[in-house]
Amino acid sequence: MGTFRTNQNNANIHKLNTLISTVIVIFLLNLSLQIWLLYTALNYALEDNAQIATIAFIGSLVIFIICLGFLYYLPTGKPAENDH
Amino acid sequence: MASKEENNKKKWKQDFPYHKQNSDLVNRREFAKMLTFVSGGLTFGTGLVAAKANLFPKKKVVGEHLICAKSEVPIGGTRSFTLKDSDIPYILVHLENGTFRAYEQKCTHLSCSVYYEPGTGHIICPCHKGVFDANDGAVLAGPPPRKLPKLSVIERDGSIYIAAEEEKSTI
Repeated sequence: MGTFRTNQNNANIHKLNTLISTVIVIFLLNLSLQIWLLYTALNYALEDNAQIATIAFIGSLVIFIICLGFLYYLPTGKPAENDH
Repeated sequence: MASKEENNKKKWKQDFPYHKQNSDLVNRREFAKMLTFVSGGLTFGTGLVAAKANLFPKKKVVGEHLICAKSEVPIGGTRSFTLKDSDIPYILVHLENGTFRAYEQKCTHLSCSVYYEPGTGHIICPCHKGVFDANDGAVLAGPPPRKLPKLSVIERDGSIYIAAEEEKSTI
């Protein structure tokens, strides 16, 4: 590999740190949404509104898939000095 | 603030020889993976709720059921009852305006047993001070998230019958 990526990494030494923090914040936001959906599903299902529980489940599933997708963006760690 | 050398001498540090550089990046990755796992758990839980609501819906009250004679419940008085083949407790309330109302006796917050406070028009949950309107079961105060499930009361030939409520209840 050329020196471009190495120089980029040297120029932005906090890049991985920012990236993983961002991903974690997005995960936490997603989880908050899912907790809200679970609460809503329970609340409405107990009131015999089953269709809302179904929609909440679909929403929760979509958020879970988004979370799985974000795992792709997790940095694998800083490359070793001789790894280029 | 203690220096690194001082910290290393402390007993807790010897018991838990944990180094900052080890927890820097790798453990945050594990944390992110754990969050995804929790996300899957929440999805599973919501799925269970949806499955329960769709596949095993709450049994409706079918037909009319004789509860008691009208004269047995004085104005401001109540009577608890259950229906055949069901263990859900209900409460029949004789309101001060002369009408009868029937509700599930379980608070919609944490299923405590509710009671009618004579003269106030309020049904009270003693556990967390939830207050319901005795006229339509609506929540007036406290933590209950939903109105009390209501049954339809039929007065016929001096007797009280109950049947399922016709209209769809909403929050």
